[in-house]
Amino acid sequence: MPFNQKPQKFNANINTVEIGCGDKAIKLGGESTFPFYSFDAPVENAPKVGVEISDTGIANVPGIQEYYAGATTMGEIAKKAEAMEGADFVCLRLEGGDPNGEDKPIEDLIAVVKEVGEAVTCPLVVEGCKNVEKDAELLPKVAEALQGKNVLILSAREENYKAVGAAAGLAYNQKVGAESAVDINLAKQLNVVLTQLGVQGQNVVMNVGSAAVGYGFEYVVSTMDRIKGAALSQNDNMLQMPIITPVADESWNVKESMASEADMPEWGPMEDRGISMEVQTAAAVLASGSDAVVLKHPKSVATISKMIKELM
Amino acid sequence: MAKFVTIGERIHCISPAIRRAMEERDPEPILKRAKEQLAAGATYLDVNIGPAENDGEELMKWAVQLIQSECDNVPLALDTANKKAIEAGISVYNRSKGKPIVNSADAGGRIENIDLAAANDAIVIALCSAEGIAADNDERMMHCQNMLERGMMLGMEPTDLWFDPLFLVVKGMQDKQMEVLEAIKMFSDMGLNSTGGLSNNSNGMPKHIRPIMDSALVAMCMMQGLTSAIVNPCDVRLMETIKSCDIFKNNTLYADSYLEI
Repeated sequence: MPFNQKPQKFNANINTVEIGCGDKAIKLGGESTFPFYSFDAPVENAPKVGVEISDTGIANVPGIQEYYAGATTMGEIAKKAEAMEGADFVCLRLEGGDPNGEDKPIEDLIAVVKEVGEAVTCPLVVEGCKNVEKDAELLPKVAEALQGKNVLILSAREENYKAVGAAAGLAYNQKVGAESAVDINLAKQLNVVLTQLGVQGQNVVMNVGSAAVGYGFEYVVSTMDRIKGAALSQNDNMLQMPIITPVADESWNVKESMASEADMPEWGPMEDRGISMEVQTAAAVLASGSDAVVLKHPKSVATISKMIKELM
Repeated sequence: MAKFVTIGERIHCISPAIRRAMEERDPEPILKRAKEQLAAGATYLDVNIGPAENDGEELMKWAVQLIQSECDNVPLALDTANKKAIEAGISVYNRSKGKPIVNSADAGGRIENIDLAAANDAIVIALCSAEGIAADNDERMMHCQNMLERGMMLGMEPTDLWFDPLFLVVKGMQDKQMEVLEAIKMFSDMGLNSTGGLSNNSNGMPKHIRPIMDSALVAMCMMQGLTSAIVNPCDVRLMETIKSCDIFKNNTLYADSYLEI
């Protein structure tokens, strides 16, 4: 009997969210199929790859240092990130703002934001310092400083969604990231309350949390699976927001990426391991439903963007 | 499993305001009820124009276009004894949010409404009775089989026949209630969809009692596998019960604000 292919069709799709302006603007989401199921229906927009840069400078990894060699200002670093092979957007992390770390004042961080905003023409994603109180003050100012650039602000969380959502989504017309930590019910709840606040569902991108592969990653997979399943098969419009997953931070902060070669000679060169963790995590979250990933090593960015092209 | 489908019953020509609006082609009262029901969580809206023997075709076309154009192409159940009016309604119907529902066929004089649904790629509500209420579940299931076979012979998907066990009034037929629930389980075990005018159970009861009876019954019915009901979505208690049962059945994902969406 000949094989009779029966495509799985859904009467629902993930929202399309545009970030950036002009020729380089990108569209996240839009699909009405499971990730890379191009045999069921054309995938509306290919998943996108972002390059992470930080206000705290260039990561102490030889390959990354080498790539950014000669770049001293944040503007120069951002330009190099934008030019990276396979990059669709730049993600600026303001980790120096963390009160438990460098605790940089908000004005200094906004100066960085402005410098980066002026340096690049590609779409920009700005991530706060992860401290909910500081982000509640910082991110509205970021949204204000980048008015007209249609950036994605990461992130509104359960504790500060009102401040971040109102500023980014309502006052300054940016795109709002909704972040939850691998908790599917909370992921949905955040979308509900952001919508009730008046933010259009079409202006929200979810960060449903991640983990490096091997570190509770199966919860990440099941969360993403369940979200895409409910969004498409149950037409749940409170889960139809595209998903962005910052991968770099998690994958470069586990022992596989950090243990020195002197301590772990049998594991091989440290940098190769870090790239491997980053690539594996990114490939896995994309296969689970992420519409965008944020990476930092040039090799990872090139590898993942090639993978996406070949799977489309 | 898919979410429970509520079909809002409040656009009904038995209501004087709606009857007048239909006669005078006055959009406002109809749109008001349409929007109220959608805001309350209805998926489909029933459009009952009565027997409409004179101008049924024109009236149904007008109503379908009016409601769909103003309410984002909400899917509709076309409810009248006038077959030509249903066909006319389908001819102008926008399917982007779901197929039209023919309301309704039975296993007796109205069995040809199955043919109508089949010819128009519509869903049909198939009432499991012929002349009068089925005496027992043997008779109900015989009607079910007959209608199912007829639909399938005509090329329909089995899931496009929504079987109605015929909900019975408690005051008068209390001893028959469990039979109705058992019939729903049999439909469900066969993988069939089901629906019905659930609030018929509480006919004749005091106004404050009806939402309680309707809610209790809908929960029991959903446990048995009922997939839809024709109800008043503005009944808050009933809608809260349906939404909660959808959570238990894993038809929708829980969020703290699940009652608000």
